[in-house]
Amino acid sequence: MIQALAFYMFAFMTIASAILVISSRNPVHSVLFLILAFFNAAGLFVLLGAEFLAMILVVVYVGAVAVLFMFVVMMLDINFVEMRQGFLQYLPIGGLVGLILASELLTLAGSWIISPDASRVGAAPIPDGVTNTHALGQVLYTDYLYLFEAAGMILLVAMIGAIVLTHRRRTGVRKQVIADQLARHPADTIELRKVDSGRGI
Amino acid sequence: MITAVVFLPLIAAIIAGIMAFMRHGADEHRSHSIDRLSQWVTCGALLLSAAGSISIFFDVALGGNSYTYELMTWIDSGTFEVSWALKVDSLTAVMLIVVTGVSSMVHIYSIGYMHHDRHVPRFMAYLSLFTFFMLMLITADNLIQMFFGWEGVGLASYLLIGFWYHKPTANAAAIKAFVVNRVGDFGFALGIFCVFVIFQSVDLDTIFAAAPGHANDTLEVFSVEFDALTIACLLLFVGAMGKSAQLGLHTWLPDAMEGPTPVSALIHAATMVTAGVFMVARLSPVFEFSDVALAVVTIVGASTCIFAATIACTQNDIKRVIAYSTCSQLGYMFFACGVSAYSAGIFHLTTHAFFKALLFLGAGAVIHAMSDEQDMRKMGGIWKLIPVTYALMWIGNLALAGIPPFAGFYSKDIVLEAAYAANTGVGTYAFYMGLLAAFLTAFYSWRLLFMTFHGAPRADEKTMAHVHESPMVMIGPLLVLATGAVLAGWVMYDNFVGGSVVQFWGNAILVLENHPALENARYVPTWVKLSPLVVGGVGIVLAYIMYIAKPDLPARMAETFRPIYLMSFNKWYVDELYDKIFVRPAFYLGRQLWKVGDGTLIDGVGPDGIARAVRMLARRVSALQSGYVYHYAFGMMIGVVTLITWYLFTSAG
Amino acid sequence: MPLSEMPNLVPALPELFLAVAILALLMIGVFLKSDTADNAMRTSRQIWMLSILTLVLTALLVLTVSGERLYTFNGMFVTDQFAVFMKILILGGAGLTLLISRDYLEMNSMGRFEYGILCIFATLGMLMMVSANDLISLYVGLEMQSLSLYVLAAFRRDEQRSTEAGLKYFVLGALASGMLLYGSSLIYGFSGTTNFTVMAEMFAHGGDYAPSLGVIIGIVFILAGLAFKVSAVPFHMWTPDVYEGAPTPVTAFFAVAPKIAGLALFLRVMTGPFGDLVDQWQQIIVFVSIASMVLGAFAAINQTNIKRMMAYSSIGHVGYALIGLAVGTETGVYGVLVYLGIYMFMTVGTFACILCMRRGERMVEDISDLAGLSKSQPLLAMALTIFMFSMAGIPPLAGFFGKFYVFMAAVEAQLYGLAVIGLVTSVVGAFYYLRIIRVVYFDEAGDPFDKAVSRPIAFVVTLSAAIMVFFILYPALLLDPAAAAASALFGG
Repeated sequence: MIQALAFYMFAFMTIASAILVISSRNPVHSVLFLILAFFNAAGLFVLLGAEFLAMILVVVYVGAVAVLFMFVVMMLDINFVEMRQGFLQYLPIGGLVGLILASELLTLAGSWIISPDASRVGAAPIPDGVTNTHALGQVLYTDYLYLFEAAGMILLVAMIGAIVLTHRRRTGVRKQVIADQLARHPADTIELRKVDSGRGI
Repeated sequence: MITAVVFLPLIAAIIAGIMAFMRHGADEHRSHSIDRLSQWVTCGALLLSAAGSISIFFDVALGGNSYTYELMTWIDSGTFEVSWALKVDSLTAVMLIVVTGVSSMVHIYSIGYMHHDRHVPRFMAYLSLFTFFMLMLITADNLIQMFFGWEGVGLASYLLIGFWYHKPTANAAAIKAFVVNRVGDFGFALGIFCVFVIFQSVDLDTIFAAAPGHANDTLEVFSVEFDALTIACLLLFVGAMGKSAQLGLHTWLPDAMEGPTPVSALIHAATMVTAGVFMVARLSPVFEFSDVALAVVTIVGASTCIFAATIACTQNDIKRVIAYSTCSQLGYMFFACGVSAYSAGIFHLTTHAFFKALLFLGAGAVIHAMSDEQDMRKMGGIWKLIPVTYALMWIGNLALAGIPPFAGFYSKDIVLEAAYAANTGVGTYAFYMGLLAAFLTAFYSWRLLFMTFHGAPRADEKTMAHVHESPMVMIGPLLVLATGAVLAGWVMYDNFVGGSVVQFWGNAILVLENHPALENARYVPTWVKLSPLVVGGVGIVLAYIMYIAKPDLPARMAETFRPIYLMSFNKWYVDELYDKIFVRPAFYLGRQLWKVGDGTLIDGVGPDGIARAVRMLARRVSALQSGYVYHYAFGMMIGVVTLITWYLFTSAG
Repeated sequence: MPLSEMPNLVPALPELFLAVAILALLMIGVFLKSDTADNAMRTSRQIWMLSILTLVLTALLVLTVSGERLYTFNGMFVTDQFAVFMKILILGGAGLTLLISRDYLEMNSMGRFEYGILCIFATLGMLMMVSANDLISLYVGLEMQSLSLYVLAAFRRDEQRSTEAGLKYFVLGALASGMLLYGSSLIYGFSGTTNFTVMAEMFAHGGDYAPSLGVIIGIVFILAGLAFKVSAVPFHMWTPDVYEGAPTPVTAFFAVAPKIAGLALFLRVMTGPFGDLVDQWQQIIVFVSIASMVLGAFAAINQTNIKRMMAYSSIGHVGYALIGLAVGTETGVYGVLVYLGIYMFMTVGTFACILCMRRGERMVEDISDLAGLSKSQPLLAMALTIFMFSMAGIPPLAGFFGKFYVFMAAVEAQLYGLAVIGLVTSVVGAFYYLRIIRVVYFDEAGDPFDKAVSRPIAFVVTLSAAIMVFFILYPALLLDPAAAAASALFGG
C-alpha cells in the first residue's frame, strides 16, 4: 500500500516536473526542475529495488550533469525571451502532431500484451544474496563485456572530439610556467636603489 | 598463340592511339618520329599476327586440331551464359590468314600511301583496331561475341570512311554506311534473339549440336512458312546482307569509297564485307536445315551479282567500278553458300580477298600517281609511265575475270559449277546470272584497264609530268598480293573444294546429304566448265573493241540504248528510290513530328510541361529546406507520426 | 564467484585490431612533435598514412576471418559472409575517402592528426554496426560512428558553415538516436529480449507468438532512427546542409561509408529479427523509398552548389537501394549489395573530382565553376562525365547495373509501381547529371582550375572511372560475393 502510494507520488512528480522543465520561463528554473525530475526518477528506481542505479542517477546526473547545465545557463548570456518568440506561432501545429502521436501511443498501451516468452528470455534476474552493485558488476564484466568496452571507446571519442573542437594554441597568451617561477632569482627582478632624501628619483 | 594473334592488333591500336594524342602539338621533327614509331608498332604487330595465323593454319586447318580457347566468363545471368572464347577451326584458320595477311599488307602499303597525311597514328590505330574487331568476329565462339566483333568492325568502318572528316562527302558516306548497316544489324540482333528462343543458348557449338533436333520438331509442328529455323536464318541473313552490301542494302558500299584507298582495300573489299559470307558459312549447320532460307540466299546473291555487274560497266570513278565489282563478287559467294557449296564460297572469298585487295591497292597506286585523280575519263596513256603498277593491275584483272591459271579462275568456276550442279530452280537461275555476270566482269575489268592505262592521255600536262611509279613500300605489298592472286587458286583448290574437302574443313562446315551440289560439281558437262572462260574472253574482246579499236563506239551505244545506259549509269536509281521511299518521307514525317507532334504537342505537354512542373516542384521542395534546426526536427517528428498513422490505418484494421 | 569463460575473440578480430590500432595511433599522434605548423603538418601526414595502412590491414583481417556464421560476446556480435562483404565495402570507402582528403586538409590548415583517427573511429563504429546482433550493440556501434561524424562535420571549427553543420547534425542526430532508443525499448518491452537471434525465432512464422502492435510501432521508430542515418526521406533534412557545410573530404566520407553501414544495418535488422514480419514493414519501406527517390530527383534540380546537389543525389540513391530492401527477398538484398558496391566507387570518384575544383588556394563548389573544364583538364572532365553518366544509370557503365538489379528484383516481386517510379525518377535525375556534363563541355569557359592534381586523387579518380567503364567486362568480381553475402543473410 505504502509502496503503491510512493510509486504514484514519484511518478506524478517526475511527470509534473518534466512538464515544468519545458514550460518555465526562467532557464535556471528549468534546470532546477530537471534536478527534481532526476530525484524522483531515482526514487522510482529505489522502489524497483535498483538502489545502485538510483544512487548513480543522483550522483552523476544531479551532481555533475545538472550542475554543468546550471553553469552553462548562467555563463552564457542567452536571450531566452527572443528564443521563445516562435513558440505561440508553432503551438497549434506542434500541439496537433503531439496530440496525434500521444493518442497513437495510448492505443498502443491499450493493446499491451506482454509476451509470454518475455519472462523466459528476460535478461539476468537479480540473483539472491548479493548486493545490487555486485550483481551489476557480475554481468557488466562478463555478459556485457563487449558493450562495456564499446561504451568506453565512445567516451574516448567524445573526449577527443571535445579536445579537437575547443583546444587551440593561441599566440600571445600568458601562461603560468611553474618552473620559470621557481627558477626566478630576486636579482633578476629587484633592483635596490639608494634614494637620497628630499631629492626624488 | 591464338590470343596473341587476336590481341596484338588491339595492343598496337591502343599504343598508336596514345601516340595520336601525343602527336597533338608536337613539333615537326617530333611528330614525324611519332608517325614513324606508330607505323613500326602497328605493322610489326600485324606481321607477327600474320605469322601466328600461318602457323595456326598449319596446325588447325591442315593438322586438323580445332579447339576452343576460353578467356573468361562474360555474362552469366540465369540460363543466359556467354563467355569470351576463341573458337579456332578450319574456317577460322582460313579467315585468319585472309584477315591478317591482307591487313598486314595494307598496313605496310599505308606507310607509303598516307605519307603526306597529318594523322598517321590515328589512321594506323583505326586500321589495327579494325583488324582486332575482325579477328574477334571470326574467332567468336558465340553469337554475342560475333555481334561484338560485327559492331566493332562497323564502328571502325565508320571511323575510317569518315577519316578525312573535313570532307562533307566523307562524313555523309560514313553516316550512310553506318545507318544502312544498322538495318542489317537490327536483323542480326533479332536473329540472335530468335536463335536464343529456339535453342536457349547463343553458344555456337550448343546450337550446332541441337540444330538437327529442332529442325525435325519444327517441321512437324509448324507449316513450312512458319518454320522457326527459317525465320532465324532469314533474320541473320538480313544482317549478312547489310554487312556484305547485298541487293537492297548495297547502297553504302560505293559511297564508302570516300575513305582512303587502303581502307577500301582492307575493309570494303577483302575483309569486313565478307563477314556476311563468313557468317552464313559459320552457321551452315543451321542454314542447312532451312531450304527456304538457302533459296533466299541464292536468289539474293545471284541477283546482286548481276545487278552490281551491270552498274560497274558504266561508272567512271575507278574506285567505284571496283566497289561495284566487289558487290558483284560477294553475290557469287552468297549464291555459292545458297546452294550449300559453302566451301566454294569461302574459296572464292579467299582468292577474292587477294586479287581485290590487289586491284584496290593498285588503283590506289594509280590515284597516287595521278595526283589524287579518280575519274577514269581524265586518265589514259600512262601504262608506260608506271609499268609495274600496270602489270600488277593486269594480274588482278586476270584473276578477277577468271582466266586460268589465276586464282579467280578456280574459285569462280567451282562456284558456277556448283550452282549448275545444285539442279534446283534457284541454282539454275544463279548459274545463268553468274555466267552473265562473268561476261560483264571481264568487260568492265578491261574497260577499266583500257580507260586508265591506254589511249590518249586525257589528264592535264602538269599531272602527266608528275606521274611516277609508287615507292617500294607500296609496291612490295602489291607484289605479295599478286603472288596470292596468281597462286592461291591452284594451291588451295584441292583442300578447299577438291578431293580432300571433307577432311580439310572437318566439323567447321556441315553439308547435308540432300544438298550435294559441291560433289556433283565435278561431274557437270564440259560446256558448263568451259562457258565462264568463253564469256570472259568475249567480254575482254568486247572491251578491246569498244575502248581501243573504236573509241567512239561507247558513246554511240550509250546514245542508242539510252534508257538502259542511264539505268545502269544511275545505279538502277536505287539511291533515288530509297530517297523517295524512305529518306524524304522520313524527313517529312520527322519534320512534321518535330514541328507539330514534338514541338507543340509533346514538348508543350510533355518535356517542356513536365520540365516546368519539375522546376516548380523543385523550387517548392527546396523551399522546405529552411536551414532551421527546429524545422528539421519537427519534420522528422511529422515523419514518424505519418508513418505510424499510416501503419495503424492500413494494417492494424 | 564463478569465473565466466573468456569470450571467443576470433570473430571480432578485425574490430579488436582496429580499436587497438586507434589507441596506438592516438598515442603516436600525441607524442609526435607538433609545436610548429610544419611539425603539425608532418605529424598529421604520418597519422594519415598510418590510418590508411590500418584500414588496409583491417580489411585483410576481415577477409581472413570470413567464412561461416559465427557468434561471440554472448550472442551480441555476429560475423558472416554478409558482414564481410559490407565491411570490405565500408573499409574500402573509408580508405579511399581518406586517401583523397590529404591535400584539402593541408591546404585549408586542417592538418591535424585527429582527423585520420576520427575517421577510423567512425569506421570502427560502422564495423560494429554491421556485426551487431543485438539492439544494444547496434546502438553502441551507431553512436560511436555518429559521435565521430559530428566532430568531423565541425572539424573546420573556425569556419562558421562547418560548425553549423556539425551542430545541426549533432542535434538532429541526437533526436534520431532518441527515436531509435525509444523503438528499441518498445521492442524490448513487448518481446523481452534485445537479441536478434532470439527475436527472429520468436517472430518466425508458425511461432506461438503473434507480434503485437507495440512491436510494430517499435519497428517504425527504429526505422525512423536508421532512416535518419542513411538520410532517407522524410528524415533527410539535415543532409543538404551538412553536406554543404562540412569540409569536402568529410562530405565524401559521409556520402560513402556511413551510408553503406546504415543500409547494412537496415538489411540486417529488417531481414533478420523482423524478417518474417515483412508484410508489416514492407509498406513503410516502400513509402520511404519512393519519397527518397522523388525528392532526391526533384530537389537536386535547383541546386547550384555541387556538394548540395550530391547530397540530394545521395538521397535518391538511398531510395533506389531501399527498393531492394522493400522487396525483402534474397534477390532484393542481392540488388542492394550490388548497388552499394557500385555506388561506393561512383561516389568516391565524383568527390575526388570535386576535390580538384580549386583555384589558387581556394576551393570552389559552384556547378557553374565547372564551365570549360573540358578544355582546361580534358581527362578530369572525361572522368567526371563517366561518373555522371554512371550515376544517371546509362549503360554500359556500372551505375546502370546497380539500378538494373534493384529494378529487376522489384519487378520479380511484382512491385511494379516501385519499379516504374524508380525509372521515372531516374529520368528526372538524369536531367541534373547531364546538366553538369553540359556545363563541363559546352558552357563558356571561366577561369581554369589549378592543374596540379595530386597523386592520391589521380589514383582514386582513375581507379573509380576504370571500374565504372570496365565493370561490364568482368561483373562476376562484384556479383559473386554479393550473391554469397545475400544468401548468407537469408540462409543463416
